[in-house]
Amino acid sequence: MTLEAIGAIAALPGMDALPASVAVDKPAAGFDAWFAQQVGQVDAGLRVADNDLRALAVGNVQNLHEVMIHLEEAKLSFQLLAQVRNRVLEAYQEVMRTQV
Amino acid sequence: MDYAAAFRISASGMAIEKTRLDVTAANIANMHSAGTSAGAVYRPMKVVAATVPLTFSQQFGALVATGGGVQLASVEPAQVAPRMVYEPGHPYADAQGMVAYPGVDHTAEMMNLNTALRAYEANVVAMNAARTMAARTLDIGGQS
Repeated sequence: MTLEAIGAIAALPGMDALPASVAVDKPAAGFDAWFAQQVGQVDAGLRVADNDLRALAVGNVQNLHEVMIHLEEAKLSFQLLAQVRNRVLEAYQEVMRTQV
Repeated sequence: MDYAAAFRISASGMAIEKTRLDVTAANIANMHSAGTSAGAVYRPMKVVAATVPLTFSQQFGALVATGGGVQLASVEPAQVAPRMVYEPGHPYADAQGMVAYPGVDHTAEMMNLNTALRAYEANVVAMNAARTMAARTLDIGGQS
């Protein structure tokens, strides 16, 4: 008997006025924007490593291991970027091979 | 892909071991530097390392709190008595002909040197392990 209270919801105005399907918006930032940002970050890392190497060459480096670690970080971030590019290119070539 | 944190932890370890090496080298270098008096003589230094306390966000967010590495707490003079040597002709000799030299324990300093070196190597190995792990991660889904 108490279930009848639920039926009152159907009587609310505007319940049927909802659109049948909601248009999905495109994400604000696409893959290209993300990729460009990542390229920028990798470039910044490479610049840091480059500056460290310059400082090492002119002889004003306090600790050598920071230089090596920055080099490693730059290398890893570049490898990640290269792998992302490889995957994207693989997908592209897969699409290009599609028979029509 | 937060391998930079692992690198930072290892880097802090390397920095502290480098400091330990520097301080030990200074102790050994000053082993025979005489002082004008027993109070003014060089005192062997000692590196005190401490764990970096976790930040609030680390403590709050981390289910398994990862350490934040190590930091230099202080470099303190060791409480050792100066070594008194009988050298009447020395310009710093006192009334009894005794000259004060730092009480550097040669054996202990060499041990410090070795442990600092090995600990540095261990930090490098840990960092290389993190790097290898990151590189293996990039192999996921790769050709062959």
